[in-house]
Amino acid sequence: MDAPSHLLVMALFAACVGIAGGVLTEDTPPQQARSAAKIFGGLLASGIALGWLLYLFPF
Amino acid sequence: MAARQAQKKRAAPPPAPVKPRWLVYLLGWLVPGGAHLWLGRPRTGVVFLVLLPFMFALGLAFEGRLFPFDVAEPLTALAAVADVAVGLPYFIAKALGFGAGRVLAVTFEYGNAFLITAGLINVLVVVDAHDVALGRK
Repeated sequence: MDAPSHLLVMALFAACVGIAGGVLTEDTPPQQARSAAKIFGGLLASGIALGWLLYLFPF
Repeated sequence: MAARQAQKKRAAPPPAPVKPRWLVYLLGWLVPGGAHLWLGRPRTGVVFLVLLPFMFALGLAFEGRLFPFDVAEPLTALAAVADVAVGLPYFIAKALGFGAGRVLAVTFEYGNAFLITAGLINVLVVVDAHDVALGRK
């Protein structure tokens, strides 16, 4: 298969983990949606931040 | 007073039959979300029934590898345990010959991440089903 965008795959992974985390940790659908969005955003933002930080390391 | 108590007793629903815990664990492991469906949590059950096989299928589509049980390689053995933890999708994929993995594929590591994470999330789902079965949730 053609190589998909790294960002897209990371976002897909973050979305899956976010949905699972939200459903497992909260009870009502609005709380679950909020929690899923937070996990998704956190994973995506930390992934991008770590990606930029790794530029500082030459190895 | 006594009549009211008797009426209350009659109106109260019968207690839900206690489900054997080992069956909850087995069903939860084999069918992602199956334990929640059985325990009367259809919404949660359907979410995991769709989400975990989807993640597992994505892992296979990204040419991830279903790791062998190799005790000489502890990390590989742990990855194999995580792969098996997803339940029936693992055995179906193995039976159909999927999961050989292609190390040279750009998406190889992504595939592994999806495969392993699907299994580990299923472990969390079984633990959640355990709490539901005990009435903690």
